[in-house]
Amino acid sequence: MSVQRHEVHLLTGGYALDALTDDERAGFERHLARCPSCAEEARGLGETAARLALATAVAPPPELRARVLSAALRTRQLPPPGRGPLARAGERAGRPRRSLKRAGLTAGILTLAAAVAALLFTQVSTSRELQQAQARNSAIAAVLAAPDARIASAPVAVGGTVTAVMSLRAREAVVTTADVPSLPQARVYQLWVMTAAGAARSAGLLEVASSGSTVPLLAAGVLPGDRLGITVEPAGGTAQPTTAPVAVMPVTA
Amino acid sequence: MTDMKTSMTSPEQPGPGRAEGGGQDPADLLALVARGDHAAFEAVYDQLAGPVYGLVRKVLRDPAQSEEVAQEVLLEVWRTASRFDPARGSATAWVMTIAHRRAVDRVRAENSAATREQKLTPGPVTGDDVHELVETALDRQRVRRCLGSLTPTQAESVKLAYYAGYTYPQVAGLLGVPLGTVKTRIRDGLIRLRDCMGVTG
Repeated sequence: MSVQRHEVHLLTGGYALDALTDDERAGFERHLARCPSCAEEARGLGETAARLALATAVAPPPELRARVLSAALRTRQLPPPGRGPLARAGERAGRPRRSLKRAGLTAGILTLAAAVAALLFTQVSTSRELQQAQARNSAIAAVLAAPDARIASAPVAVGGTVTAVMSLRAREAVVTTADVPSLPQARVYQLWVMTAAGAARSAGLLEVASSGSTVPLLAAGVLPGDRLGITVEPAGGTAQPTTAPVAVMPVTA
Repeated sequence: MTDMKTSMTSPEQPGPGRAEGGGQDPADLLALVARGDHAAFEAVYDQLAGPVYGLVRKVLRDPAQSEEVAQEVLLEVWRTASRFDPARGSATAWVMTIAHRRAVDRVRAENSAATREQKLTPGPVTGDDVHELVETALDRQRVRRCLGSLTPTQAESVKLAYYAGYTYPQVAGLLGVPLGTVKTRIRDGLIRLRDCMGVTG
C-alpha cells in the first residue's frame, strides 16, 4: 500500500518523530532521496525533535557511566560507510600500475630479496628473533620463488610506493614499500586484506626502516578479487581500518 | 587530564542535563569517537547521557528498562560514530534520533508481543509531564514556551507521537480523528515549533 503522492510531503513531521510505520518510513526515505525540499524540511524538523528530547534530560543513575564506558572498551566499532574505506580509496587513486613483464618481476623480486637480506642483517639480534625471521624469510622466499608469482606496485598517497609479489597458488602476497615517510610514534602503517564482500582483515603492521622501506610482510589467505590496502592507524594497529587507506592494490589472477 | 577526571567524577556535578564542562562541539567529539578515542566518548557521555536517559525514560516510563535501553543507545553511538554525517544534521539530533528510535522500537516490540503487559504500554502524556522537569534549563523554558504557541490539538499530537512513542494510526485512534488530520497536525505543529525555537538547517 503506497502513500498517496500529495500526502508524502506531509510525512516530514511524523518522520522526525518516528511516528511512521516501518513501511511508511522505508517509502519516505526513498522519497527523501529525490526531494531536496523534503530533505531540508525533514532535517529542520529532526533538529526540532532533538530540542524536545533535550527538554527531557534527567541525570541517569551514576553507575550507568562506568557500565557504558567499560562496555565501549569491549565493543568493536563499525568502519565508515560505503563499500569500505579500502574500496573508496581505490576509486580515488585509480587503478594501480601493474607490470607483468618478466623483467619487472625479476627486478621487483631482487629489490624485495635485497630488502629482506638487509633487514635480516640489521634487525635480528637474538636467536629467537633469528628463528622467527628465518621462518618469515623462507615463507617470503617461497612466494618470491612461486612459478605463478606476479608483481604489482602502486603509489602511496603520502609518498613512496608499495610493491607486492603475489602467488595465487600459495594464496599469499609479500608486501613492502619504498620511500614512504616515517610516521609519528603514535602511528603505524597497517596492511589489510580486503575481500570482495567488503570485509577487511589485518595482515599486520608495516615497520618502516630508516631507509623508508618496510620489513616485507606476508599476507596469507589472499584470493582473486581481494584488495591489499595500507592505512595509517594508532600505534599497535586496529582490528578494522579506521582511516581511508593511503594505498590500494587489487589481487588479480 | 587529571583535573578533567576529577571534575567529571565529582559528586558536586550539577543536576541533570548536559554537563558543565561540555563546551566541546559534539560533532567534533563524534569524529574523534569514530577513530576509537575513549576520552572523546567520555565527553560525549557527559554531554548527552542526561538527554538520552531522559528521553528514553519519558517514552518507556519504567526506570530499569530505560536504563538498559539508554545503555544500548550510548553503546550504539560508540559503535556507529563513523556513520554520523554532519551534512545531514547535528550530532545531538543524530544521537537523539537513535535514542528515540530505540525507545520506540522497544515499546512497539513489547506491544506486539503475545504477552502484552499493561505497565509497558505508555500512558497518554499530559502537559504536566512536559512541564514537570522544567527548571532553569533554557532548552526546557524554550520548549515549554514554544509548545504553548501550538494549538492544543497540535501540541497533543506532537507529544503523543514523540513522548509516548505512538504511530500515526495510534495517535489518530486515541484522538478519534482521521489519519490525514494527524499527519497535518504533527507537521504543522513541528514547523511552528521549529520556527518558534529558531532552529536553522
